[in-house]
Amino acid sequence: MASITYPQSVEPPATPGTLKLVKREQVMIGAHIIAALIALLFGIFMGPFQTFHRSPTFVQYFPTIPVFTYYYQAVTVHGVMNALFFTTFFIVGFCYFVTERSLQRPIKSVPMGWAAFASMALGLVLMLFTILTSPQQSAVLYTFYPPNIAPALFYIGLVLLALGSWLASANIFLTYRDWKREHPNERVPLAVFAIMVNFIVWCIATIGVALEIVFMLLPASLGILKVTDPQLARTLFWFFGHPLVYFWLIPAYVSWYTMLPRQAGGKLFSEPLARVAFVMFLLFSVPVGVHHQFSDPGISASSKGVQTLLTLVVSIPSFMTAFNVGAALENAARNRGARTLFDWPFKQKWNDPVVAAQMSGMLLFIAGGFSGLINASAQLNATIHNTSWVPAHFHQTLGGAVMLTYIGILYWLLPAIRGRALFSKRVALAQVFTWLIGMTLFGLAMGEAGLQGVPRRALTSQAPYLTPAGAFWMDVTAVSGVILLISSILLFVNIVGTLFFSRRPTPEGEVPIETVSGDRSSPLWLERWGIWLGVIGVLLLVAYGPVVAEVLDFQEGWNIMRFMPTSNAPMP
Amino acid sequence: MEINKLERYWLMAVGITLGAFVAATIVAVTVFGIRLPAPVERIDPQRLDQTIFANPGVRKIADNRYEAVIVARSWAFDAGPEAGNPAVLRFPRGSQVTFYVTSKDVMHGFQIEKHTLNLELVPGQVARATANFNRPGTFHIICNHYCGAGHQVMYGTIIVE
Repeated sequence: MASITYPQSVEPPATPGTLKLVKREQVMIGAHIIAALIALLFGIFMGPFQTFHRSPTFVQYFPTIPVFTYYYQAVTVHGVMNALFFTTFFIVGFCYFVTERSLQRPIKSVPMGWAAFASMALGLVLMLFTILTSPQQSAVLYTFYPPNIAPALFYIGLVLLALGSWLASANIFLTYRDWKREHPNERVPLAVFAIMVNFIVWCIATIGVALEIVFMLLPASLGILKVTDPQLARTLFWFFGHPLVYFWLIPAYVSWYTMLPRQAGGKLFSEPLARVAFVMFLLFSVPVGVHHQFSDPGISASSKGVQTLLTLVVSIPSFMTAFNVGAALENAARNRGARTLFDWPFKQKWNDPVVAAQMSGMLLFIAGGFSGLINASAQLNATIHNTSWVPAHFHQTLGGAVMLTYIGILYWLLPAIRGRALFSKRVALAQVFTWLIGMTLFGLAMGEAGLQGVPRRALTSQAPYLTPAGAFWMDVTAVSGVILLISSILLFVNIVGTLFFSRRPTPEGEVPIETVSGDRSSPLWLERWGIWLGVIGVLLLVAYGPVVAEVLDFQEGWNIMRFMPTSNAPMP
Repeated sequence: MEINKLERYWLMAVGITLGAFVAATIVAVTVFGIRLPAPVERIDPQRLDQTIFANPGVRKIADNRYEAVIVARSWAFDAGPEAGNPAVLRFPRGSQVTFYVTSKDVMHGFQIEKHTLNLELVPGQVARATANFNRPGTFHIICNHYCGAGHQVMYGTIIVE
């Protein structure tokens, strides 16, 4: 290995492998994780409140639900804080840490890292300020479709978040480039390979939403632009909106592929195939956004068909992951004495919150993955589009697999950052299993309600059209909300406890991060990112070229932006 | 790069599963005739009075075949004075109804309970879809796309007799 020289101003990283963080890591990674948890604090508790608001029985007994009394404000806070701010801060912080430890070098530029953080943190502050001070006008939900226009600060907050995340991406790309120059004939460790994929996907995907915000929404909000085009805006949003879910998922896969096998006491089945799976995510994450627009009138059936096929293709790397990680877990169980065909899922470290959280997430991901295939099938979508089936689906994937994996990561990373042991392992286990039970029930109830025709994101407790069956499932959802509220409280008990009240030092241990690749057979050209960018360009041309032409009404001569925006609809 | 035998079987099973989804989609289109919404026409939501949406309502076009023209606004479906508000539409059993729907203000949704009909109403776009009402009963038309503070009270009713 080539020797690494560190700049004088930068403290070198701690001894590889050790769980003790050096000061620089603690401050930088800690800042990102704490900011993520602040966003999560606002976002997570809005979830249960929505289930209460939506349940007719609950509202009958508790007519005024405290804290957020305006349901659509709660939906907005929940989506924006959880899905956009919590995830981005967490992913950037986690990926910095993994990159640094895996490549055994600090990120390329610490000042640039802080500039990125400052931008995202200012975005968070502005966004919270806007949503909390103007609940009516800013209740545009996290999809913010025009002609509903939020106050300008809402969009400025998002722009700052995106800017910061781009700086963070650049930092990671440059760190990788420096490593690659010193190791031209080596495979980069799998975790960093996946992180590269993740931030490339992110940078491509955010182009769509950036165009939407900078050229359509922000000018409309400032009164500069008097017209908007909702069909174009939706298309740009979903160009971003679907790859976004892989941006959340890939860091969880980093943990499943490169950390969980060791945490569970086993060995990854195939590292080369893991790389192939990540390359597939790189190629097929972006040209699939139209599967969120199957019911849109402005896009042709053939464009929708093309993206249906591509969406089915992007499920393949997840199936590959199920096999590969499943085999690693089986290997772990065999090492622990599992003998028969079906005893290996039980012979796992279910009493270790880090492992239990990730495996619970995988269980939920089975339901989430298959319901996703249903959503992606153009015709099946017509029965469940915009019904509560959809949040049922993404609470098994995002709220299940991704969230529980991030929680599992948090249960080792937060103690490492704080330099103290986890406050309570028991509370952590209780949190994980209440989350698993609560989210399973939530998915069941919301999914059934969706099949009954109950819409998503509607204050169903006051809806005249709610059927008895729909009302029943909404009440069940409120029960799952109670369970998830308990779980959320337990999560924050452990967070606050670890940060402020834990007295025991961090246990001696290792960070579960590989510093060299064990892979000796995957082709080196898998790391030729230029090739993949070219392939993505071709795929985008095929999948999105016709869509853009249709949306812009090309045949009639680029009729864009000719409709008045309206501000938020008034109260009834 | 070597691929383990078991993993190859697994990938084949995945291929078969996804192939089944593709086949189901093709069957849905060719055998059951399920169609996705596709571009019909672009119109100016501020000048609906110059389009078919000037006079919303239900028209009979042949035996058991109807056309329903509906304008969505915050927060009602306007299907003409006969239908009232909230709109009530009546069709005999066995009717085939083609809906032409648009929004005159913000995004709305148009979903008929227990029927495979689900449209995004995008201002400036005409949405068209056909439903077959073969079972008698009462089915709600639900706005399933968030459209502001009164979203939850935006609905209509279809009665199949």
